Amino acid sequence: MKINKEVRQLSRQMLQASFTDGQLDSGRISSLVDSLIARKPRNYIGVLKNYRRLLRIEVEKRRARIETASEVDRETTSRLVANLKKKYGSDLTTEFVVNPQLLGGMRIRVGSDVWDGSVRNRLERLQQQL
Amino acid sequence: MSSILEEIETKIEGLKTSTTKSNVGVVRETGDGVARIEGLSDVMLNEMIEFPNGVFGLALNLEETEVGAILLGETTKVSEGDEVRTTGKLLQVPVGKALLGRVVNTIGQPLDGKGDIKTDSFYPLEKIAPGVIKRRSVSQPVQTGIMAIDAMIPIGRGQRELIIGDRATGKTTIAIDTIISQARLNKAGEKGEVKDYRPLYCIYVAVGQKNSNVARALAVLEKEGALPYTTIISAPASDTATNQYLAPFAGAAMGEWFMDNGMDALIIYDDLSKHAVAYRQVSLVLRRPSGREAYPGDVFYLHSRLLERSARVAEKFGGGSVTALPIIETQAGDVSAYIPTNVISITDGQIYLETDLFYQGIRPAISVGLSVSRVGSAAQIKAIKQVAGKVKLDLAQFRELAAFAQFGSDLDAATKARLDRGQRIVELFKQKQYNPIPVEEQVAVMWAMQNGYVDPVPVERVKEFQIKLQDYLQTRKESLLAAIRDKKQLDENIESQLRAALDEFKATWR
Repeated sequence: MKINKEVRQLSRQMLQASFTDGQLDSGRISSLVDSLIARKPRNYIGVLKNYRRLLRIEVEKRRARIETASEVDRETTSRLVANLKKKYGSDLTTEFVVNPQLLGGMRIRVGSDVWDGSVRNRLERLQQQL
Repeated sequence: MSSILEEIETKIEGLKTSTTKSNVGVVRETGDGVARIEGLSDVMLNEMIEFPNGVFGLALNLEETEVGAILLGETTKVSEGDEVRTTGKLLQVPVGKALLGRVVNTIGQPLDGKGDIKTDSFYPLEKIAPGVIKRRSVSQPVQTGIMAIDAMIPIGRGQRELIIGDRATGKTTIAIDTIISQARLNKAGEKGEVKDYRPLYCIYVAVGQKNSNVARALAVLEKEGALPYTTIISAPASDTATNQYLAPFAGAAMGEWFMDNGMDALIIYDDLSKHAVAYRQVSLVLRRPSGREAYPGDVFYLHSRLLERSARVAEKFGGGSVTALPIIETQAGDVSAYIPTNVISITDGQIYLETDLFYQGIRPAISVGLSVSRVGSAAQIKAIKQVAGKVKLDLAQFRELAAFAQFGSDLDAATKARLDRGQRIVELFKQKQYNPIPVEEQVAVMWAMQNGYVDPVPVERVKEFQIKLQDYLQTRKESLLAAIRDKKQLDENIESQLRAALDEFKATWR
C-alpha cells in the first residue's frame, strides 16, 4: 500500500492522541475521527484508512488469541487470563477459539509472540528434525 | 530391526518438543520475489525468516509497522495471510573442500547431479572483513599464465584486481585462463615439481550469465582438468534477483573458509555490473529510495563490503588469502559510468580490455595505458622483475611513438629501434585463449626479447619464433626451466645457460 508522507504523519499523530494513561481510549478515538471527517483535510480518507490499520495493529498487540484443541474448563481459563494479564498488562483482551486441527494442547498468540504447545506443532518439528 | 527402533526412540527422546516461543507475522503483500509482512516485532536485520511450505526469506527492510523481505526459492508458494516466523539464524552456505569440483547454486545446493555435498561447516553469507591487525601486505604472486598480465600488471594473493571492458573483449577468458593456470600449478605442486607451492583454489561466481555461457566455462574447465580445484556458483539470468544478489556473497563465504584455514583462494565475480542490476531490482521492489541511474544509495557499500573481504592474513592468523577478480562490463568503453567508477575505486587496480585492440588481433586486448596494478612488483617473482622491469615503459613509449611515426617516414635510428622493439613486444604478448604459459617460460622468452634475440626476427614471425623457442626449451632444456622455477631469479649461471640455449636455438631457427 503506497501512502504519502502527510498521510503517514497525520495518522501517526492521531494514533498518539488516542491513548489515555497508556491505554486506547474509544471515546477519544471516535472524537478524533469525527473531527477529521468534519474538517475534511486533504487525503482524509487515506488518513482514516491508515489510522484504522495502525489501530488494528495496536489492538492486536493487546489481544491474546488462545487456541485449544478442545473446550477448556472455567478454572483453567481464568488462571490463564490472569497469568497473561500479569505478563502483558491489565488491558489485555482475550479470545478463546477451539481448533481441533491442533490435535491437542494449546497455542497462544499475543501480538507477534506465539507460545505453541500444540501436538500439531510438535509433530511438525519432529518431522523437520528427523 | 529392534536396534533401529531403539535408535529412533532415543532420537525422539533427544528432540526438544516442549512448548516453544516464537515471533510471528502475517504476509500482507507478496510479488516480484519480495513479501511485506506485518508483525515480526523481534526480527533482526538480515535474519532468515520461515514461510510455510519450507520457503525461506531474508528480512531486509525493518519499518515501523512492516517488514520487507526477499524470498529465497519457490516464490509462488507464498501467499497473502501466510504466517511467517523468525528463525534467529543468518543465511549460511556450506563451505569446505567438498565443494571443489562442484557446480552449486547461491545457497550451496548442487546443480551438477553429482549427489549431495558432504560438509559439516557452514559460513554466514555476510561477514565483517578481516581488520587491520589480521592483515599483512600482498607479496605472493598469482601466476595468471598470461604474459602481458604477469609481466606488466602483476596480481598478488589477497589483491583485488578488476577486469573491465566492453562486451566480447575477452574478460571471462582472462578469468578462465587464470583458473586453468592455477590448476596446472596445483597439479605440479602436488607432484612436488614446484618448491614450497601453496595451492590456490578457485571459485567462479557466475551472476546473471546465460546458462550456455556457464556450461561453456564448465566444459572448458573440465577439459583442461581444472574442475577438481574449482567451485562454480551459478546464479544465471533466469534465477531470481535475490539469488543473483546473494551469489557473490556466497562465493566470498566459501573463499573465506580457505583463508581461515591457512589456504589460498581466488574468487572471480563474473560480473558485478549484473550484480548491481539485480540489487537495484531488489531495492526498487522493496521501495527503497533510488539514487543515480536508479541504483539504491548503498550500491557502493554493496561492492565495497564484498571486495573488502579479500585479504592476505598474517602468518599468526594462518597466513591464508582470498584474491578477488571482479569483472565489470562497460558500455561503449565508458569507464566513467556509475558502477565502473565505483568498482575501480574499490579495487587495487584494473585490467582494461579494449575493443579496438581486440579487433586488431591483439588478444588478450589489454590496454597498457589504462591498466594498472596498485600492488606492483611486490607481487612478482624476482626473475620476472629482472626481465620485465621496463616492458611497460617500453610499450607505453612505443604507443606514443607509433602515433607520431604515422606522420613522417624519416625516423632516427633510436626511434626506429624503439618502434621495432615495441612491435615485437606486442607480438610476444599475443596469446591464444586457454593456453597459460608457465612463469619460467615467460622469463626465458622475455629474457630473449630483452637481450635482442627477437630483434632480427621479422614481426610477422615473432609468434612462431616464440612458440618454437618454448617448444625447444620444454623438450631440450628442461633442467634450465626447472632451475628458473626453483631459484625464482636469474643469476649469472642461469643467464649464461640461457645465452647458450638461445644461441643454440638461433642456429636452428629458419
